[in-house]
Amino acid sequence: MSVLDGKELRIVGFLCNWCSYGGADTAGVARATQPTDLRIIRVPCSGRVDPLFVLKALFNGADGVLVSGCHPRDCHYAAGNFYARRRLEILKRFLPVLGIDERRFAYTWVSAAEGQRWQHVVTAFTRQIHELGPAPRLEDAEPLLKVADMALTALRPLGSGQSAALDELKAAIRSKLPELDCVIGWQQGRDAAHHVPLFMRKPEDVDKLVWGPFNVNNPAVYLPSFKGKKVGVVVKGCDARSVVELLQENLIRREDVTIFSMPCEGTLDMGRVDQALGRYTAIDQVAYDEAGVTITADGRAQRFCMADWAQGKCYGCATPSAVLTDESFGASAPVEAKATTPPELAMLDAMSLEERRAFWRGQMERCLRCYACRNACPLCVCRDYCVSDSRDPHWMTQEDTVKEKLFFQTIHALHLAGRCTGCGECQRACPVGIPILALRQQISRAVGELFNGYAAGMNPQDVPPLLGYAVVEENIQEQDWK
Amino acid sequence: MRIGVFVCHCGSNIGGTVDCARVAALARDFPDVAYATDPMYTCAEPGQAAIEEAIHEYRLDGVVVASCSPRMHEPTFRRTVERAGLNRYMFEMANIREHVSWIGKDKEANTNKAAELVRLAVEKLRHNLPLAASQFDVNKRVLVIGGGVAGIQAALDCAEGGIPVVLVEREATIGGKMAKLDKTFPTVDCSACILGPKMVDVAQHPKITLYACAEVEEISGYVGNFTVKIRKRATYVDWSKCTGCGACTEKCPAKKTPDAFNEHTGTTTAINIAFPQAIPKKAVINAQYCRQLTKGKCGVCAKVCPTGAINYAMQEEIVSENVGAIVAATGYDLMDWRVYQEYGGGVYPDVITSLQYERLLSASGPTGGHVLRPSDGKEPQTVVFVQCVGSRDRSIGRPYCSGFCCMYTAKQAILTKDHIPGAQTFVFYMDIRAPGKMYDEFVRRASEEYGTEYIRGRVSQIYPDGQGRLVVKGADTLLGEQVEIKADLVVLAVGIEASKGAVNLAEKLRISYDNHGFFMESHVKLRPVETNTAGVFLAGVCQGAKDIPASVAQGSAAAAKVLTLFARDKLESDPQIAQVDIRRCVACGKCLRCCPFGAIKETEFRGETKAQVIATVCQGCGLCTSTCPQGAIQLQHATDNQILAEVNALCQC
Repeated sequence: MSVLDGKELRIVGFLCNWCSYGGADTAGVARATQPTDLRIIRVPCSGRVDPLFVLKALFNGADGVLVSGCHPRDCHYAAGNFYARRRLEILKRFLPVLGIDERRFAYTWVSAAEGQRWQHVVTAFTRQIHELGPAPRLEDAEPLLKVADMALTALRPLGSGQSAALDELKAAIRSKLPELDCVIGWQQGRDAAHHVPLFMRKPEDVDKLVWGPFNVNNPAVYLPSFKGKKVGVVVKGCDARSVVELLQENLIRREDVTIFSMPCEGTLDMGRVDQALGRYTAIDQVAYDEAGVTITADGRAQRFCMADWAQGKCYGCATPSAVLTDESFGASAPVEAKATTPPELAMLDAMSLEERRAFWRGQMERCLRCYACRNACPLCVCRDYCVSDSRDPHWMTQEDTVKEKLFFQTIHALHLAGRCTGCGECQRACPVGIPILALRQQISRAVGELFNGYAAGMNPQDVPPLLGYAVVEENIQEQDWK
Repeated sequence: MRIGVFVCHCGSNIGGTVDCARVAALARDFPDVAYATDPMYTCAEPGQAAIEEAIHEYRLDGVVVASCSPRMHEPTFRRTVERAGLNRYMFEMANIREHVSWIGKDKEANTNKAAELVRLAVEKLRHNLPLAASQFDVNKRVLVIGGGVAGIQAALDCAEGGIPVVLVEREATIGGKMAKLDKTFPTVDCSACILGPKMVDVAQHPKITLYACAEVEEISGYVGNFTVKIRKRATYVDWSKCTGCGACTEKCPAKKTPDAFNEHTGTTTAINIAFPQAIPKKAVINAQYCRQLTKGKCGVCAKVCPTGAINYAMQEEIVSENVGAIVAATGYDLMDWRVYQEYGGGVYPDVITSLQYERLLSASGPTGGHVLRPSDGKEPQTVVFVQCVGSRDRSIGRPYCSGFCCMYTAKQAILTKDHIPGAQTFVFYMDIRAPGKMYDEFVRRASEEYGTEYIRGRVSQIYPDGQGRLVVKGADTLLGEQVEIKADLVVLAVGIEASKGAVNLAEKLRISYDNHGFFMESHVKLRPVETNTAGVFLAGVCQGAKDIPASVAQGSAAAAKVLTLFARDKLESDPQIAQVDIRRCVACGKCLRCCPFGAIKETEFRGETKAQVIATVCQGCGLCTSTCPQGAIQLQHATDNQILAEVNALCQC
């Protein structure tokens, strides 16, 4: 058995107590010789295996990870492995975007009677890991900072939203305001080229409401903190999906929320805009035309055409109008129905695994651990109890390493699996401009592929795919280790 | 912490390929390890005593034993540490036998691996907390699902043991398949004569509540406290008034009603009592054929019924019963043999199943016990039996042996000669499987005393010869030649399958089932009646093919398990369940949505909604723990921190 020769590699197994751990015992009783690389961690059920355990192992030096549970329909806990199958399959499709070879992770089903099968799985998986060799460590990659330009083509003409019915919207808010504690929208921030959230409580507040490509913040992020109060929210199409997702997850109540919406023509990628503006003391003027804005700062005018300067998410946006709304004003331009790859993700798709590791190594070195990404995320509902600040559970250390920083991003991405609406607030809020949305986009893409085009935040009645299961999964082909 | 590590040699089982002394030496350097040694047999009495001594001497507050699988001896060692005053959950096992010494040949690699597994166990133990079991009451009543011979036996044994029994039967009468049989092998006893008294006992036993024409609709709860909803179908006869006199069945004009009890070998009336010994002996109206119910005019039975029991307006009804244990005894059905087109696929009336033949042989059957073939009512002179129709046939996805067909075929061949002395009988077989007491002798009697001709081979085709007979074409693999027999009647020994709806029931019971729908026992050899769901037991063919004596034995075994369970007034709950950290919970309801057991509910805490685990319902799978993003719900003894400690013990670069 060639895999037994040479240096051992580090392979971690998570086995359910009832079937696979018993199968490994059966193999032992039958003296079924196996390679010695594998170390087994016993868990009650494959459903107990948080995909993050697998990532934790892979990040900390495991060369391979194997999860094994009871065969579908045979779960001791009736359905644990059905949930595990969905979550682990998502994980498998997530690994490559991090630069980890997906063959380093496998999940399978072995019953307590299948000692022979277990021997075969262990031998084959160990051989596979030896063929791949020791896992390259993230810290060893040469940091890659230079990023190729993203290809940007929109599904619809992007614009500056100047024809929007802002006055009608304001009138509607004014008439509803007496019944509501607060209506959330946008106002001008430090200058005319920056908008910030606005909390309208009095009629005069409504005058401050603005609309346009600077309305980048997602106001849905504030809704859970108003739980139990009557609140209104002005939304763009993408923001509405966050509201729907919050409703789906029971974090806000439909009867408490009034949704005002207008079709969105795109928002500016403020990271790039600010970079182009450079240092300035004052904004002299912001002039809107149909397809863009011209910002004059310190006497220097620059035009930002929406087709070139929008946020990455806007190009593939198929929901410029709110999917759920109470009062809507205006209609949107038709959207060409077409599947697109978001530009951030397309950029990573074009890279090799090694380049992706180098990319994340370089990008994560810049991460400040400020957690702005988390705080801006409307679906980061843990709020004060984020696992990143906790010792029980103690998922992360406070070490300032690339590994820990990227691990936090994977925690966030996996916690959002099947929930992320792609609003991109994490990436927008990042003060150093790391394209972290790509990690969430990869998971959303996998969710869509696996669950017949499922997209989060489209319908309050949907069951998020990772909180459900199907006895027979149409789109999941498990490796059969024959 | 002060941890003691015991690296067992297990004789040469571990010591042969693992340097146990070295593992113990390495373990001394692991954090918090205060003592490490390598005993020869840790599970033996002196070995256990040594652990207890070490706990006292070295003031240990946690113990790691590196030996065999925890599935084997974890309970043993937990008791050991408990005797020495430690909490039983302050113990961890490293499996260095099944997972190391028995599967690897390289001693150095094995030793290294064993040491790492010990380290893993030590790290886990460092994060363990003492856990305490709580106690709960047991409702000492049992539900038996299925009134075949296995279910009857289980019900009677439980009732005799003083336990109130709820027996649910889907058909109108209990008795199951055995009630349809004419005689039983290997004694050729009359089936009704030996089963009948048991059925009567069920009806008369004060501790047994029988629901016939009923099915289990819903099961909730857990061992000791199940709540079962039972759907009673509408029989259109008030059974509290029906005396079973049969006046209605005599007068009923709908005489073309299919007779399911007689396996459709004849017809019956729309209102009918399945057979003379039926229990309960009550009439049931078949709503599909009753003229009053289908056409709204007739009402003959209502007119003739002396007690006024007929009620055409009867509705089905759901009743609820609380029990502490459940015995599943749902038996089997014959597979649909019509997939065999080469045997006519059900077109030829004189190709019948063995169960139909049983009804033709029975005195209570449609022919009054005279063997008359269905097509023309004549006595057959040549009868061909074909075995393994739908058994051991991988081509139709039925690789298993149905177990008892060899024996009943021999019995039917013998009975054929008893009924028609001049008849000629042939049996096509693959192998004769007669492993029971007096079984092989019985098969020999069929061939030697009764002149049954046994032909080893498969039948390739059955077709009519155009003159009222059937041509059976097959191979004789012993002689290596083709065989062609002109038969008057062909009896197929049709393979069995799990009872219709068995899978559905398994899901309600939360027990596992195999690829063919048979219920899974807890351990193939050592726990053949238990399931992996506490308080649910199995009896009879629902678990796998077996004949009457084996079914009866398993019925009694299941009853013994129920009585053992009920011997205690209180049960201990497993403390390895999920627990909510109420501060971290944001009431998003994800755990509640995923929990396969409905063990999580919402509760109010200082005006806020929070999740709460219902301790007695939680089974400890930990799905909620891996679902909760903020880690607010933690499965005790397999918390995030405990598993992370294990991962970190293995991956530390």
